[in-house]
Amino acid sequence: MVPRRFAATLGAAAILLAACTSASPGASEEPGESAAASAAADCTVAVSWNNFQQPRWAAKDKPNIQETVEAGGGTYIDADANLDTVQQLTDVESLIGQGADVLILLAQDTAGVGPALETAANAGVPVIAYDRLIEDPSVLYITFDNVGVGRAEAEAMFEAVPSGNYVLIKGDPGDPNASTFLPSGWDEAGLQDKIDSGEITIVDDQFTDAWSTQTAQDNMEAIIDSANADGVEIDAVLAENDSTALGVVAALQAKGYDPIPVSGQDGDTANLQNVAKGLQYVDVWKDANELGKVAGAAALALCAGTDMASLTIPDGLINDDVAPTAGLTAAEFTTPGPDGEPDSGDESVVTSFILQPQPITAENLDLILDSGWLTKDVLCEGVDAASAPAACQ
Amino acid sequence: MSEAATATTERVPLVEMRNIRVAFGGVHAVDDVSIDLNAGEVVGLVGGNGAGKSTLMRALSGAHRADSGEILIGGQPRTISNPRDAKAFNIETIYQQLALADNVDAPANVFLGREMISHLGNLDDGAMEDACRKVMGRLNPNFKRFATPVKTLSGGQRQAVAIARAVYFNARIMIMDEPTAALGPAETAQVRDLIRQLKTEGIGIFLISHDIHDVFDLSDRISVMYHGRLVGTMNKDDVDTDDVLAMIILGKKPEEASREELAELKI
Amino acid sequence: MADALTGAPAPTQEANRDSHRIRGALAATEIDLRLFGMLIALAGILFGFHIMSGGKLVQPANMVTLVVQASGVAIMATGMVLIIVSRNIDLSVGSIVGVVAMSYALLMTDWLPALGIGLDSPLQWLVALAIGLGIGALIGGFQGFLIAYVGIPSFIVTLGGLLSLRGSVWLLSSGAAVSGLQTEFRKIGGGVLGSIGETATWAVAGVACIAIIGLIVYNRRQRRRFGFPVRPMWAEVLLGAIGCAAAIGLSAFANSSYLPAGLATQYAVEHGITEPPGGLKVPLGFPWPILLVIGVTLAMTFLATRRRFGRYVYAYGGNPDAAELAGINTRWTIMKTFILMGVLCAIAAAIGSARLNGATLDVGQSDELYVIAAAVVGGTSFAGGIGTIPGAVLGAFVMQSLAYGLSFNGVNSPTQNVVAGIVLIIAVGLDTYNRRRGSTR
Repeated sequence: MVPRRFAATLGAAAILLAACTSASPGASEEPGESAAASAAADCTVAVSWNNFQQPRWAAKDKPNIQETVEAGGGTYIDADANLDTVQQLTDVESLIGQGADVLILLAQDTAGVGPALETAANAGVPVIAYDRLIEDPSVLYITFDNVGVGRAEAEAMFEAVPSGNYVLIKGDPGDPNASTFLPSGWDEAGLQDKIDSGEITIVDDQFTDAWSTQTAQDNMEAIIDSANADGVEIDAVLAENDSTALGVVAALQAKGYDPIPVSGQDGDTANLQNVAKGLQYVDVWKDANELGKVAGAAALALCAGTDMASLTIPDGLINDDVAPTAGLTAAEFTTPGPDGEPDSGDESVVTSFILQPQPITAENLDLILDSGWLTKDVLCEGVDAASAPAACQ
Repeated sequence: MSEAATATTERVPLVEMRNIRVAFGGVHAVDDVSIDLNAGEVVGLVGGNGAGKSTLMRALSGAHRADSGEILIGGQPRTISNPRDAKAFNIETIYQQLALADNVDAPANVFLGREMISHLGNLDDGAMEDACRKVMGRLNPNFKRFATPVKTLSGGQRQAVAIARAVYFNARIMIMDEPTAALGPAETAQVRDLIRQLKTEGIGIFLISHDIHDVFDLSDRISVMYHGRLVGTMNKDDVDTDDVLAMIILGKKPEEASREELAELKI
Repeated sequence: MADALTGAPAPTQEANRDSHRIRGALAATEIDLRLFGMLIALAGILFGFHIMSGGKLVQPANMVTLVVQASGVAIMATGMVLIIVSRNIDLSVGSIVGVVAMSYALLMTDWLPALGIGLDSPLQWLVALAIGLGIGALIGGFQGFLIAYVGIPSFIVTLGGLLSLRGSVWLLSSGAAVSGLQTEFRKIGGGVLGSIGETATWAVAGVACIAIIGLIVYNRRQRRRFGFPVRPMWAEVLLGAIGCAAAIGLSAFANSSYLPAGLATQYAVEHGITEPPGGLKVPLGFPWPILLVIGVTLAMTFLATRRRFGRYVYAYGGNPDAAELAGINTRWTIMKTFILMGVLCAIAAAIGSARLNGATLDVGQSDELYVIAAAVVGGTSFAGGIGTIPGAVLGAFVMQSLAYGLSFNGVNSPTQNVVAGIVLIIAVGLDTYNRRRGSTR
């Protein structure tokens, strides 16, 4: 792949005119309650981000962590490694040098981050693995349930289309999320059982290089042509994420297919708009605002000397819908181990908060508005007033 | 021996280059050289490698700009800063490395940069092929391959295409840089005939060549260069090949050279 | 025409008489043998996948999909030919597509509405399109300037463009996909709404037929005018007949892809037609992207073979020094090839974003590879001076028919990439072999 770092540094300046840059959707977040008031005053919480390329980190996660920490009397510092593993190691050293008491780590490379953990351990700084798992028993792992995302997608779809002809659109074949976690979530929801019992027929099953929308569209068009040639009607499309779902919807429209249920995840603006328009059935949403709050609160508690195993999420800090199924106290999480296979003997156990993703359909779009994820203007842009979901009326 | 053939008549020379200097990073490739050319005359330009013959001619063809000096065309001082300027003064060049676009056909090469176009601005390939056939008919009547890329042609045919380009555009001054270097004997003879024919049409030709026989066979006057300097310009009838060879090697006119030097050459 | 540049191989002496006669006949028609061979290869590939799919692949609707999917790359490949012919390369085309596609999306949803030209203004899409084409030309022109006038190698300039323009896409949209384009604009992307319908399709066939015959007559008259040898009459008639038959056949083919049943019912209701049993058949005809490909191919071929600009591009590619010494303004010529490339990228971006009804961060990603591959498979040589526009368009169709055929037959994308890579190497290898054999003879 192209090193995106260059893209960012060279930036638009060289070739694109400055006039073309658009105003960023500066939706500022209010992080609910101010957390853990009991925390130590002199606590410095450091965050090492692997990138700010994806907008969510700077727009959602960072302000929530920062405001939670600062509301508790702590100090927030951070660094952005720009998708560079080596840079991230340097960042960690420098953050610890600046007096970090707790380190929140969004790892660029979960295997290559080892030296950073060592640095932190030597300095006696506890580490929170944020959103991405780090295979080390000493870390606190805070994330959304990734297998649960797949499960939520499939459960929602099975409610809409319990039986019929399904197309599976998966992401990049090299990404374990695409090839392993999400499909196993689908199976947890009963996909394989329904296939075995004949309730569901798989018309086609395709990977999408680099999760590309265009590729997903090209593939889906070929699948529709092929199904038409066979006289098969497609009833639903299980797409793993929003970028592929966008391509699927474009293909259905280009082919004049009547809207059929399509799944996705990420809560991307264009996809939530499609949910509002009835073009995408479900978008499984991981509210990064909530994840940031949990991390901020946990960091403050670790600062105050709380033992990792007895950490709790302060009552009322987060929305009940996303609260871990295991409750508000930290739970044990068995990792799949470096080989990615469960039960293969290399697993380890980490302390964790695993938040629940929320399936968003036209019925509960108001959650998106209530959380401030999108404004009503944006969410409901171009929605036909007659068929508008409740949230857009 | 007289200095040069200034005594011919009072007519104005086609080209006068006066006190031309060209330097490449401190090295004088051409150092204060003055030379002229009359209509219907061939001036042979000889000298060893690096003597500055080609560089001098490049200043005239617009491929390289002179650092100082004057160029008079038909008695008028002119500035030649690129090949287009040179062409505007009817100066055409036949290069040592055959300067043809190998991948396009003969008519396209003849008209390269000066295509005939229809009133809508489209290429008029028919008219160009027609004109090319007529010119080539004069120069090389056996030539038939007007629609194939010139890379498939023989060296002599390619040189004929290059000369056709100059002739078609009414060249009055022609620079030929080693026009026969890449050719076999039969083709060389063909090109020599071409040059004689051009001469009778009143075209003035600067002929750069390593082949002293070529030069004696075709030239009216011979200019010898040595390390960027002009050693001298002689009427062909006043000298023999030994004199010229001596000038090329020693960089001196025969009367200036010592007996010892001349004796050494004879060995 | 183009055949003068590719150099059809001369017949061999030892060839047996039959093949000699066929070659002689082909030579009389002055058909470009390379293009002819590629057409055969394309047909072979499609036929192979047709068999593999149990006889279901080659149908009007599917072929239309294939051409529409290839349209962006095909359009860009016509410009890439001129760039490679003049001994340069453009690695930035995919990123230019990304920037322009995102610009279209933002223009229509954000910037133009801010200026009071909303999605409901009928000409909004035209304004957006014009600005997008301008952006493409500007980016291409700027890169071309750096290459031609400043003298930075094109590989470096456009590699920089590849990176920085892709980054610009992110900066433009703050990292989010944008969707919801104007309905008129979306027609550029084809699909059921973006086809011209039955009557217009027949009209296109008629115009094409007349144009083909007109061109043949004109060329014959031109050659007569100067007393040049002309093609035998049978060859002229045959060519005209083939051209006309192809135009009519393609139109008939396009007209036998129909509106999907659901939309057809809606159409029947809207037009007050009672639906016959078995459903109303509403022919779709040519979708816009196909017409754009045809239009661009014709325009670019004209530019390459009938205008000074094209002549200079090829001459420069054959011998840069000769072009310079002939007094051609080579720098401006090179810069123009890049401006043209930028505009073609903007056209491809219009098709891409219209198909998607928006723009994502990765629109056009890796397109540079497919575009270069299409040009090269189509016979363009990196040595410079050699390559044809129709060849590159066919090359794009060959590459896309592989991807589509495999996808249609349910083959996974990693396998598709393996096949595409191998075919690229084989195609260029065969071509190199043929050329070498041709030149040593």
